[in-house]
Amino acid sequence: MKALRNFLAVLSLFVLVLFSAFAYAQTGVTKAKLPVLTTSAGQSNDVTTVNIVLEEAGLGYDYCDVPDVDMMKAGVGLADKESGPGFHAEVYTDLAKFPKGTPYKTIIFAIGASLKGMGASGLTIETEEARLKRIIDYGKQNKIFIIAVHVGGTALRGAPGSDNERMIDAVAPSADYIIVTKDSNKDGRFTNIAKSKNVPLTEIEYALDLVAIMKQIFQ
Amino acid sequence: MSLKKIFVGSIMTLAVLVLVFSFIPRTHQSSRVDLSRDDISGDGCTVIMVAKNASVDGSTIATHTCDCGTCDWTWRHVDASDHKSGEMRKIYHINQYKTWPLEQGLKWDLYKNDFTGLEIPELPHTNAYHHGMFGYMNEHQLAIGESTIGCVKKIRNDTPAPAFDITMLTLIAMERCKTAREAIQLMGSLAEKYGYGYNDSGEMLAVHDPNEVWIFEIMPVGPLWTPKTGKPGAVWCAQRVPDDHVSVCPNESRIGEIDLKNKDYFMASAHVVSFAIENGLYDPKSGKPFSWKRAYCPAEGSATSTQGRRARLWRFFNLVAPSLNIGPDTPNMDYPFSAKPDNKISVQDVMNMTRDRAQGTPFDRVKGLRGGPFGNPNYYGTTRTISSPSVEYTTVTQCRGWLPGPIGGIVWLCFGLQDTSCYMPLYAGITDVPSSFKIGDHWVLNRDSARWAFDYVDFHTQVAYNIALEDVKKTQAEWEAKTVANIGDVDKQALERYNKSKDEGIGYLTGYCLTHADNVVKAWWKLGDDLLVRYNKLSYYDTEKRTRERNKPAYPDWWKKAIKVYDAILEPAEK
Repeated sequence: MKALRNFLAVLSLFVLVLFSAFAYAQTGVTKAKLPVLTTSAGQSNDVTTVNIVLEEAGLGYDYCDVPDVDMMKAGVGLADKESGPGFHAEVYTDLAKFPKGTPYKTIIFAIGASLKGMGASGLTIETEEARLKRIIDYGKQNKIFIIAVHVGGTALRGAPGSDNERMIDAVAPSADYIIVTKDSNKDGRFTNIAKSKNVPLTEIEYALDLVAIMKQIFQ
Repeated sequence: MSLKKIFVGSIMTLAVLVLVFSFIPRTHQSSRVDLSRDDISGDGCTVIMVAKNASVDGSTIATHTCDCGTCDWTWRHVDASDHKSGEMRKIYHINQYKTWPLEQGLKWDLYKNDFTGLEIPELPHTNAYHHGMFGYMNEHQLAIGESTIGCVKKIRNDTPAPAFDITMLTLIAMERCKTAREAIQLMGSLAEKYGYGYNDSGEMLAVHDPNEVWIFEIMPVGPLWTPKTGKPGAVWCAQRVPDDHVSVCPNESRIGEIDLKNKDYFMASAHVVSFAIENGLYDPKSGKPFSWKRAYCPAEGSATSTQGRRARLWRFFNLVAPSLNIGPDTPNMDYPFSAKPDNKISVQDVMNMTRDRAQGTPFDRVKGLRGGPFGNPNYYGTTRTISSPSVEYTTVTQCRGWLPGPIGGIVWLCFGLQDTSCYMPLYAGITDVPSSFKIGDHWVLNRDSARWAFDYVDFHTQVAYNIALEDVKKTQAEWEAKTVANIGDVDKQALERYNKSKDEGIGYLTGYCLTHADNVVKAWWKLGDDLLVRYNKLSYYDTEKRTRERNKPAYPDWWKKAIKVYDAILEPAEK
């Protein structure tokens, strides 16, 4: 009886480990590295969701809603820029590990267009696209790992050519890793982009599921 | 003990510890995420509330100025319905702001494409009601007005995990409730159980019935909430407006300190304080009492400090209770929840307040050169007045307890800018709304859409605003003021029929409302035509004398001087 109990315990553990390994294999992602910058593609509030996820995962990060190449070049600390009307810069990176000026190794884009958000930042859809292109080009040149996140569901999707779709076009095809909620990917758009670019994609049910993923990839 | 046993035992202990720790709820005493409110632009809707002993006739009144600028303005009536056992009610995500191109259909059909996947059991019977962007009035005189108040960013939940947003909550309340208290409890409990947010953040509703007016405020609980967490998916609070008081909500939370032991005046979700503590939004060790608005929806600033962008709160108290002497420098967070008005308020007073442009105050949009030669308040947008050019429609919901529900409740509805529009009554019991109220959008002029008739007049008023507005006022006096003054006659006719046969009374009211609305819409199309002819080419065409007066409307002398001063200062080289 005791032997059976021990056997079951070991079996359960084996299944648990196997399941975890399988779950990780599903992401198919090489590890991302810190320090990380979070930002928005389209100025919706979803970047706050990403920031809360990182906080929950116990990860430090820098956040700017509208960073440009100069801030990317400045690295950790965002050149000591201070938040003001239509501009937010916050530094939560562990400065003991990554002193100011350390180049970012990863950038996370929360995709979603908000006319109100863009208006508050003095952006139009065209200037937002141009800004995103500049920082993505910089990221590619400097081998910064790009993660595209879309957790806003159908509210942040739209007809082809709509603001939301243009934000997806601006970021997702350049991403090294795409994470989307099932609601965001009902039409398989992100899956198709991931396949065509041969990059891994993880589909999640809730934003909460991002917490485990972030812990995993930044381990 | 063998090594094998020690190894297996250790692994099992570790596994148990991992499982246990994964279920311990985390607290966020020292959040790093921005605790500022998500939006204090103050562009949205204004709700004015009048409790029964503060009104002239004993009715309760609330407004909703549906301020958006690009939203859907169409209306629907929903019939009462009986449901078989086992029938389910589908819950949809409804975005206040979302519109579709006309060729795709109408919003109140298309929103059903956004099914959340949640179905809740139907009740055996659901109520009839009227709705636009929100549920406004049901057959039992349950009425609602709405104002977006936002919330601290970290508790927003913009993910699709919550099944309910504010529009859907109001529709369900209309279907299932008879009183304000019932509606608040239902909306609060559904939001807690199935989650609140997605399309909305912090929201305020004025929920009233013939006896009570309540302010209900609700917030999401952050983006990491899912139905599987087992935790409440919303945090909410409600406070009753004292019966002899009036109150207002101009996109700012109005509930401060709460006393949940006083059940006649306060209701809230059970975790209203503990959730704030867990999220670092309130520190009980601070020695300060818990304040709902300071925890969840802080909005520092005053009418003066925001250069009039948040002047509506001050303006309301300035209008209804000047004896309080509240100055425009008063921080908005320090205003009283409600006040006893200096004089009792009529429904016409409330309609007039929705037309307010802060005339004669420091926030007057036409002072100096701002309004141009014809005092047009629509040129200068820096100060935010109760009346805003972005309004889709305005409701003044009125509940009158001395009449049966279908007759006692009225939605007074006006489309477009209040100063050039006309309030029309839709009784609670009517079984349809005018067909011209059901269609139209901002991007295609539609002469079958009521809203366009009012925009047509508004557009032609802009040419010579303060002169043309006098023409509009004459038409308003004919179609609005007379209707408001004589509504008692309609009540009487309806009541006589209703007492013989409910269907007859309701049929009479439906016919009256539909015919009246059609006549008003026709009158406004004609008024628009008349204004176009009269002020064509910025002259004055007298249609009776068949003359054209080139010097009328006359530019005021101060305007002519202002042009000279401008030239002298800014274009001296051209002299």
